[in-house]
Amino acid sequence: MTDIRVEVTDLHKSFGSLDVLRGIDFSVLRGTSTALLGPSGSGKTTLLRSLNVLDTPDRGVVRIDDVSVDFSALPAGKAGRVASQRLRGQSGMVFQSHNLFPHRTVLQNLTEGPVVAQGRPVEEVEAEARVLLDQVGLADRASSYPHQLSGGQQQRVGIARALALKPRVVLFDEPTSALDPELVGEVLAVIKDLASQGWTTVIVTHEIQFASHVADQVLFLDGGVIVESGPPAQVIGDPREERTQRFLSRILDHG
Amino acid sequence: MRQVIRGAVLLLLLLIVIPPPATAQQQPVVKVGTEGTYPPFSFHDPQTAELTGYDIEVIKAIAAKAGWRLEFVETQWDAIFPALDSGRIDLIANQVSLNPERAAKYGLSDPYTYSRGVIVRRTGDTRVKSLADLSGKTTAQSSTSNWAEVARDAGARVEAVEGFAQAAALLQQGRVDAIVNDDIAVLDYLATTGSSAVEIAGDAGRSGSRQVLALRKADASLLSQANQAIAALRADGTLRGISQKYFKADVSVEDGGSADLSQGRGPRSTWDVLRSTAWPMFVGLVKVTIPLTALSFAIGLALALLVALARISSYRALAGVARAFISIIRGTPLLLQLFIVFYGLPQIGLKFPPFTAAVVAFSLNVAGYAAEVVRSAILSVPRGQFEAASTIGLNYSQTLRRIVLPQAARTAVPPLSNTLLSLLKDTSLGSVVLLTELFRESQLAAAESNEFLALYSFAGLYYWLICVALSAGQKRLETRLNRYVIV
Repeated sequence: MTDIRVEVTDLHKSFGSLDVLRGIDFSVLRGTSTALLGPSGSGKTTLLRSLNVLDTPDRGVVRIDDVSVDFSALPAGKAGRVASQRLRGQSGMVFQSHNLFPHRTVLQNLTEGPVVAQGRPVEEVEAEARVLLDQVGLADRASSYPHQLSGGQQQRVGIARALALKPRVVLFDEPTSALDPELVGEVLAVIKDLASQGWTTVIVTHEIQFASHVADQVLFLDGGVIVESGPPAQVIGDPREERTQRFLSRILDHG
Repeated sequence: MRQVIRGAVLLLLLLIVIPPPATAQQQPVVKVGTEGTYPPFSFHDPQTAELTGYDIEVIKAIAAKAGWRLEFVETQWDAIFPALDSGRIDLIANQVSLNPERAAKYGLSDPYTYSRGVIVRRTGDTRVKSLADLSGKTTAQSSTSNWAEVARDAGARVEAVEGFAQAAALLQQGRVDAIVNDDIAVLDYLATTGSSAVEIAGDAGRSGSRQVLALRKADASLLSQANQAIAALRADGTLRGISQKYFKADVSVEDGGSADLSQGRGPRSTWDVLRSTAWPMFVGLVKVTIPLTALSFAIGLALALLVALARISSYRALAGVARAFISIIRGTPLLLQLFIVFYGLPQIGLKFPPFTAAVVAFSLNVAGYAAEVVRSAILSVPRGQFEAASTIGLNYSQTLRRIVLPQAARTAVPPLSNTLLSLLKDTSLGSVVLLTELFRESQLAAAESNEFLALYSFAGLYYWLICVALSAGQKRLETRLNRYVIV
């Protein structure tokens, strides 16, 4: 197998008469960080959710590591669900509004998936979970409930929960958009750490600065297609497409 | 939920504490079928819990004469003849009236009780003397008795009541003018209450009935032993003695039933009635009301969850069935549902004993109401929780069990507690399907003693206390479920 960790080929998705993804092709190299930029409604969140099969694409192929699903030929019923489930198991998802389980402690939020879904031994999973909590700076909050944490801490738990699954790629859906401005920094710092530790990440974000510092690759989406892609220095620093320029100037004016 | 189940199990264990049948076999054992819930003929003494009554004393006297050893098998009236047919009992001592159908099928003894129809009026109300006077007046009758027919034929308007005591109460209160009834029930009432507010005005002009023991036709020798014993007991005055004890009159001979109340026992005080009824009511509460409530609620909740899931499922047909079920349950009276299960279903071959029938009806009813509660509670859990659960790899049932339902429980507990409290009180409807639960016990005692206000209030107190306890439980549960939201 090559170093391509994620490969997306000709992905299409529509909601009713609305074509949200209209033929997306890209790949992500192992250990790199990819930022998805684009105006709202451009399809970037749907693209991310398609990788995790929270939204099921209409056609096209998604391959993550050694699991590949061709959605044009997805069998109906149980076989299809099993295939989707396998692909989903390849990635970990961090939500905009963290979606932590409020009735579980921080530690239980991390161990739930590995123990219940993956069937791994509790002791081993808990030990790993504590290491992860330490890594996101929350070693002392293992037995707290989510509501006892600040927004930034909650999102860091959300990240640790995704990592606990040992995914092939970690997906972030606007991980800082729901946070108070003063809490954004701590979350971005954790994500930046991940990149340096060799995790493969795909991030939907509006943080242009962050994307240009951390991402190895930037994809600019508009109208359901990738308008421009490349290293941040090129896409953000020196965009060739007019739509990219317009978007960036609007964001940077406000930012 | 766990507490509810634990409670149900405990109560079931309590139920199992029923004494095993005695064993010893020298004399011929005769198994006697009797109701045990039919005062004053066959009932349990409130103080000693012993089976006793007029019929019980008579059959014991017969056994002593005939040299039988008796084994009592308490059986509901509806099941008593089938039990005789199938050999589970050998004879019935339960005021079996002689009629041609029974005479053709069973071996019937000589009569040991005679009864006749009488007209009862308020004491001194001379407008009511005979059947002819009933025209245009109002009488109170058990709706199923043939005395109601007699009164109607005489031109009276009939108010339906439950038993003689209720009829007597209506008569005393002046809400009806007369009662047509079997004289034994009247004598029993007068003897037990010592009431002088009502009196027998005269004969209802219809040949009386005779009560006999019923045996299998094949047991001819047993029958002749019984008849010899009855003749002997009549001759030596034993039958008259038993009759005097219960009715202050001799009902063991034809037309002997004019009551001599000169040495009536006098009415028991309200306090005495309450004291002797408190225990049977408590037993009814613990053995029937609470297990019925707990079981119906547990089963009902499980069904409600299935119905709620069906209702929100994407399979149209399944959702439609669930919607129809909820609509029917919520759109029809509970009493009617109970009657359909208990009286209706046997006609298509589905016959349940009373307790089971009540559990079926009540749990379906709970399911119908709770399904909507559960459904809205599930829908109140944010979509992100379902998504987060599936991204960490949980399947549908794991997601429900571990993520969604614990959060839905918080929303669902207050409305479900209402359902539980309603159910507890609704189990009193079980009294109409032969369940001797708390309310039925108070009804029986009231029928005997006329203490309607005291007894029904006392039953109310029991219900209320259980409701208070349940409400306290609800509060604790809510606190527990709230521990993870907003400090």
